[in-house]
Amino acid sequence: MNNAPILSGSRLTKRFGASTVLSDVNVAVSPGETLAITGPSGSGKSTLLHCLAGILRPDEGVVRLGAERVDTLSEGARTALRLQRMGFVFQFGQLLPELPAVENVALPLMLGGVPRREAVRRAAAWFPSLGLAGLELRRPGQLSGGQEQRVAIARALVAEPAVVFADEPTGALDSATGRQVVELLCGLAVRTGTALVVVTHDPDVAAACHRTVALRDGRVVRAEVPA
Amino acid sequence: MIGLALRLLRLGGRRAWASAGLVGAGAAVATTLLTIAVGALHGLDERESRTAWRAPAVAAADPVAQLRLRTDSAAGRSITQIDLVAPVATAAPPPGLPRMPAPGEVWVSPALAELLGTLPADELAARYPGPATGLLGEAGLQSPDELVAVIGRPAGDPVLTVPGNSDVAPVAGFDVPRPAGRDYAMTDVYRQLTIVAVALVVFPVAGLLGASARLSAARRSERLATLRLLGASARQVTVVAVAEVTAVAAVAAVVGVLLEWALSPLVAMIPLAGNGWFAADVRPGLLACLAIVAGVALLATASAVGGLRQVVVGPLGVVRRQRPQGARWLRLLGVAVALVVLLVVNSALQVVSVDAMGIVFVVAILAMFGSVALIGPLVVRVLGSRMARGAGSVPGLLAGRRLLDDPKGAFRPLAGLTLAVFVAGFLAPMTAVVAGTVTADPSMLRLTAPAGATGLEDAARARLVSIGIPASVDTVDDAREGVGLAVLPADPAQLDRARTALDGLVPGAVVQTGAEQEHEGAMLVEDLQRGALVVLVATFLVAATATGTAAAARVLDHRHTLRLLTLAGTPLVALDRARRAETVRPLFANGAIALVLGLACASPFAAAAKALEPSGLLLLAGVLVAGTALVLAATAASRPLLRSVTAPDREGSR
Repeated sequence: MNNAPILSGSRLTKRFGASTVLSDVNVAVSPGETLAITGPSGSGKSTLLHCLAGILRPDEGVVRLGAERVDTLSEGARTALRLQRMGFVFQFGQLLPELPAVENVALPLMLGGVPRREAVRRAAAWFPSLGLAGLELRRPGQLSGGQEQRVAIARALVAEPAVVFADEPTGALDSATGRQVVELLCGLAVRTGTALVVVTHDPDVAAACHRTVALRDGRVVRAEVPA
Repeated sequence: MIGLALRLLRLGGRRAWASAGLVGAGAAVATTLLTIAVGALHGLDERESRTAWRAPAVAAADPVAQLRLRTDSAAGRSITQIDLVAPVATAAPPPGLPRMPAPGEVWVSPALAELLGTLPADELAARYPGPATGLLGEAGLQSPDELVAVIGRPAGDPVLTVPGNSDVAPVAGFDVPRPAGRDYAMTDVYRQLTIVAVALVVFPVAGLLGASARLSAARRSERLATLRLLGASARQVTVVAVAEVTAVAAVAAVVGVLLEWALSPLVAMIPLAGNGWFAADVRPGLLACLAIVAGVALLATASAVGGLRQVVVGPLGVVRRQRPQGARWLRLLGVAVALVVLLVVNSALQVVSVDAMGIVFVVAILAMFGSVALIGPLVVRVLGSRMARGAGSVPGLLAGRRLLDDPKGAFRPLAGLTLAVFVAGFLAPMTAVVAGTVTADPSMLRLTAPAGATGLEDAARARLVSIGIPASVDTVDDAREGVGLAVLPADPAQLDRARTALDGLVPGAVVQTGAEQEHEGAMLVEDLQRGALVVLVATFLVAATATGTAAAARVLDHRHTLRLLTLAGTPLVALDRARRAETVRPLFANGAIALVLGLACASPFAAAAKALEPSGLLLLAGVLVAGTALVLAATAASRPLLRSVTAPDREGSR
């Protein structure tokens, strides 16, 4: 694991109207490192993830991806940055129901300009290692919840991003499947040297990560490395 | 559950109201158009019932008068002149008159009175036996702007013996019902054409209602899931969903009917058969209005139930997307049946009477509309398959896969416009046919005297010279009956003065140009062209609204996935291009097929090749440009919605 952070947020503050959702939050993650952001509902976890991913612009503070400052970029530049250097795994419903699994995975590559044939070939290469061999042409509706999440993980990693963000990736899965998915996600992040930021309220998911940042009312109340 | 549905709507906040408002606006506009079309039929009936006295029951003996109906002209307009010879003073008068006109009296419509006031006497008033006695009431008039003169004549007046453009009828009584099985009348042609126009408009209107209901169903899916989770049965959930749409559509339909009533003075200004309407005529009766409201509510309900079938709400309250059924090749069988129906109709049109022609024709239109609706999803499926196989870019791939995944859903936004193209294909050769019909001379006056009349040419020349109008005057040998006279004034502006001077030359004979004699035909041509334009504009506007509404419903259907894709860095422009590709290409393919079917449907009346004549080509080119522009505009109209559902700030999660 390289110790220099690939992604950092310094003194992040975000307000929605009169309500301060994030207040003076500092967070950083290095390549190959896995970071869990935990906290009760309404603590600001998702807002922090959205600020770090350039989806939301913080009212105060700085977000950097490598040497590049993210929070000052235009909307278009941030969108392009997310496409090229970030991957995302959400709770559910992130796959296009009309596309076969392999084309869902190939999507970020094609959006990045890779020809379709090459993109599909590279996407298909992820399927055996994720236990999805033979399911390449299935539609999302024909996959189980766990299989869908593994397809989503393949899609998040296929373009070899610097950081993968996962927002409650096991929220819609049973505990056994959720454990398998999170182990797979963390294992792949370490193996590929990708930084992983997971938002979760599940202690088991947090325990699988290298470090945990706990939030309450928009402030960091605890930052620790699990034993 | 119905109470709950209405309560949910009432308490649903700004978004629920805005959405209901959109659905309601669509339904209201559709209802207004439908009511206007039905109002035209009602208006024709009213016109006919008020003017039926001009072709009254014929008396076997003891007539109350001899009636002669003629068409005169002045200032470029037609005047209906009714001569009542030897009227029985004590008999019931024609509608609109307080008593039977005495010989020498001239009763005129208000519009003719106005014209008499503006034209010099030697251009019009001098043709009548005296000044206007009084005004005809509305009860005897076709429309407020109709020019009518009812003239009382003494027994033995020469008007009865002069050849002209109508027969003399001994009148049994103006209040005596006319026997059934009457002769061919222009009103019947107009009625049948209006029935065809209603049929052409009603299906795009139904499409708009369907699209509105679907938009509403898409918005509600999450709420329905919550209800299911709370223990509501699938049937109860359906009732909640449908009750809201039905209530909104019913209210909107009432608003639509009221809107038509409010607009009726404007609608009444659109001329048909040469005249406008009394505003009350174009307002359908109460029963018809109630039927329209009930029909719109029923149609919306049926569309909502159809829309709900695609959203299966499981017992755990999870909204799952049903894998849509693909478009089957079996549909081609339906198209074959429709073509057989068209052939049967083609043969039937040769034998049926004018009265039934419209209905028979509507059957053909129904069959063709059915074909377009059946074949559309099939075309979308084939196109989707080709696009998905060959796509090199994300928008192309997304569009192809979406078309292939749900051909019926993809065709739904295009159905209205495809039907509008069908209507254009149907009307294009027709307008070309009618445009070439009327060619008569508009400047040479003609009149006909009984056979054996002599000295007409000299007498005419003398009359014209006495009022200082230079003109060439010739006797026409080939007059169909009697002796014909052709008069060409050197100055066309003197036409009405010349006509008035010649009016008494042959007592009772009408003096008209060739064009004026064919006025009825020319009016029909004009009305057909105007009608075609009105129908086309209405169908295209309705269809474009339906396309926009359906495009918005599709965005709402996929809002969750679209949002997550955007969050993950998918550029909005790629999603937008995909939406455009999945709309424009299937529209072109389906539009081409609809055009061919439209031409086929018009074939009993006009050869398809007529569409290649300038007026037909102009119509088709206009349709092509307008159709493409409308689809692009309709798709673009839902772009703000796409931007809104994919905006990160919508999350509001913390």
